[in-house]
Amino acid sequence: MSLRAVIEGVQWMFLAYFVLLDLIYLGLSCVALFGLRRYMGGVSAAERVYSHLQMPVSLIVPAYNEGATIATSVRALLQLRYQHFEVIVVNDGSKDETLAVLQREFELHPFPEAYRVQIRTQPVRGIYRSLKHPNLRVIDKHNGGKADSINAGINAARYPLFYAGDADSVLEPNSLARVVRPFLEDPHMVACGGTVRIINGCMVRGGVVEQVRLPRNPLALVQVVEYLRAFLGGRIGWSAINGMLIVSGAFGVFHRETVVAADGFRADAIGEDMELVVRLHRKLSGQGRRYRIAFIPDPVCWTEVPEDLGTLGRQRRRWHRGLAESLWSNRGLCFARHSGTAGWLAFPYFVLFELLSPVVEIGGLVIMGLAFALGIMSISSFLAFLAAAFALGVMLSTTALLLEELSFHTYPKARHLAVLFAVGVLENFGYRQITSFWRLQALCAWLIGRPVEWGVMKRKADWLR
Amino acid sequence: MADVNAAPELIVTLAWRSAEIAAASSVLMLLVALAIRQYLRHEERVRARIVKLWRPLLTRIAIEETDEPPALPRLAARHRPFLMDEWNALQDAVRGSSVERLNALALRLGLDGAARQLMDSRHVGKQILAIRALGHLRDPGAWSVLEARLAAPNALVSFYVAAALVQIDAQRAMPGIMSQLAERESWPGEAMARLIVDAGTQVAGEPIRVMMLSLPPAKVPPLLPWLARVDSILANEVAVELLRRHKDDIHVVAAALLVVLEPQELPGLLHFATSADADVRKNLAQTLGRLGGPTETGLLIQLMCDRVWWVRYRAGQSLLKLLGTDRLTLDTLRSQLSDPYSLDMFEHVCAERATA
Repeated sequence: MSLRAVIEGVQWMFLAYFVLLDLIYLGLSCVALFGLRRYMGGVSAAERVYSHLQMPVSLIVPAYNEGATIATSVRALLQLRYQHFEVIVVNDGSKDETLAVLQREFELHPFPEAYRVQIRTQPVRGIYRSLKHPNLRVIDKHNGGKADSINAGINAARYPLFYAGDADSVLEPNSLARVVRPFLEDPHMVACGGTVRIINGCMVRGGVVEQVRLPRNPLALVQVVEYLRAFLGGRIGWSAINGMLIVSGAFGVFHRETVVAADGFRADAIGEDMELVVRLHRKLSGQGRRYRIAFIPDPVCWTEVPEDLGTLGRQRRRWHRGLAESLWSNRGLCFARHSGTAGWLAFPYFVLFELLSPVVEIGGLVIMGLAFALGIMSISSFLAFLAAAFALGVMLSTTALLLEELSFHTYPKARHLAVLFAVGVLENFGYRQITSFWRLQALCAWLIGRPVEWGVMKRKADWLR
Repeated sequence: MADVNAAPELIVTLAWRSAEIAAASSVLMLLVALAIRQYLRHEERVRARIVKLWRPLLTRIAIEETDEPPALPRLAARHRPFLMDEWNALQDAVRGSSVERLNALALRLGLDGAARQLMDSRHVGKQILAIRALGHLRDPGAWSVLEARLAAPNALVSFYVAAALVQIDAQRAMPGIMSQLAERESWPGEAMARLIVDAGTQVAGEPIRVMMLSLPPAKVPPLLPWLARVDSILANEVAVELLRRHKDDIHVVAAALLVVLEPQELPGLLHFATSADADVRKNLAQTLGRLGGPTETGLLIQLMCDRVWWVRYRAGQSLLKLLGTDRLTLDTLRSQLSDPYSLDMFEHVCAERATA
């Protein structure tokens, strides 16, 4: 085969891949657009009907060395506008004063709870109950990681639904009522996620986001557009066709019994949130059970994103590795009988366009760059492919901005929209390539079985007032 | 060295075309987003103006009885939905003659016609706005328009239609609503219960009894709890009858146990303590605490040794309910518990009550 034929093949593959990926995204965005319009049309009417109906929820908060922020986080949860809920903080063998802070701030006393072990976890050292807040309990256990802590919380949970979130996320006061509503509307609902937005730059007082602002840090700013694209485009679209393979670890509500029956979160998984959701699809569809896993866009959870390349890189490598593991360990879902949209559309999509995308993106860029540098490819061809890849990327970001405008208008000023559009253009020059590179690194590390680098998520928490 | 123009013209052209189309689409979407922002801002301003102008007037009409109809400001046809929303909100809050006066005003403004037009809207919010308005107007002429949508796939639309039909003629609405209630799982049970309570149980009682007893057993469990909230005595009668007819259906039994009200039914229920289903045993433990007396403590102690946590928990709670807070009694009971699980649970429920 001649070099010319190879280059030509790569070019066709590169173009076809991008066009196909963007067509899928556009299709999902169209589904999302109709879903959003229908959903937004009924929001106020639904709130009127469901205002007095709320299923009890256990809020599970795993905490490891969160002594500095845990009291604020728990206080914010206790202020949620919701009728029946309990907060279960799981101290995962913290080495700092997390437990002491909780004991001091919430008047914790040891409680002789008849703790039942439905999912095996690291041993529990003690259970405490707050005298100030009857709906607050703290489980103190040996260190076992986030998934292990959530499992301990599930064991202690009393209510049919549980929320598993991060100790450092901020839930909007009405978000719990909204994310639980699908469970009231559909008895087959087993998990539901909401939108995660970026808190960097916002003003938070007393655990509530008071003023929405764009972050000043350019890395955080790019992630605002990324999150909009992921949540408003992709997830609403997948949810509409019951193909949601991920419910964000920062904000998801699950049906407790279903998760217990599936043996809970896998303590050794890196992306435990995605792994659980893919496993639920595999198990439930395998049992021929009617079920639904949904995403609704308006319950919002705010979270801090990394503002330096080192932390962001570690986070993205970890996410991509989690994706690889989740898909590999649940490969039986792919094209399985009765696996529906999840097995026949979402799973292959995630393999081709999420897991392998860094190979195509970086591989394509390197091959074309080399071909251009070696004079095998003309400048006009090289520019044409770059322009196509970049313009399609910009189009996806703009679609997400349009969806945001059609629904929530979270960012109040027209200037915000202009800035986000500009960021959607600029992210194609460097940011997109570097994130693809990190993902490629993660994929290679997973293939050769190199251990995961955890590192520390540097949090500035300068939004906290 | 290979040919510099290795890439065939076709693929390069396609790449350029893709880029151009994508770039143009992006600019177009950005413009649409800006236009939407402007449009919504304009709509908000119009709504605020209408609310400011009409809210005091609507409130005055609702509370003041006057013979002379008040002069009304001009209202453009396209702004009627904004007013309809305000009018609906006020209608939700008032009773008696205020309803009549607000209805007369709505007819003067042509809100009835506007509501019928909005019924055909593809926007769910607008449809619901119209359905609520037609319900408040209590216009029998709107019956067929509404009834046709009782089986609408959207649960909210069909729920509001049910509510509107009850407002127009509760007696006539009941059979259709009951048949839908049996058919669809998507209606919010509690909200339906409130709706039927508002309609008056004398209207709903008999159709509910007939429906519950004629339903296939699988449909019964989700309906029993809301029936208990509508009319606990009726629910008790239905539950006792269901327990007699479907004593081997664990789901029916589990649901029925929770709504039985009469202590004299208890002896006939005790054998469920050995049911293979944990929900049945758990609900029996609760029922024993609700309806039982000192004679039931033996069975509750037995249930405290159950292998399922929730059965032990409910049995423990029921035991405390029956035994009271007397320390000596509780200590005696504690000394009788030899099973470590039941002892654990006993400490748990005692501590829970002490800190409640």
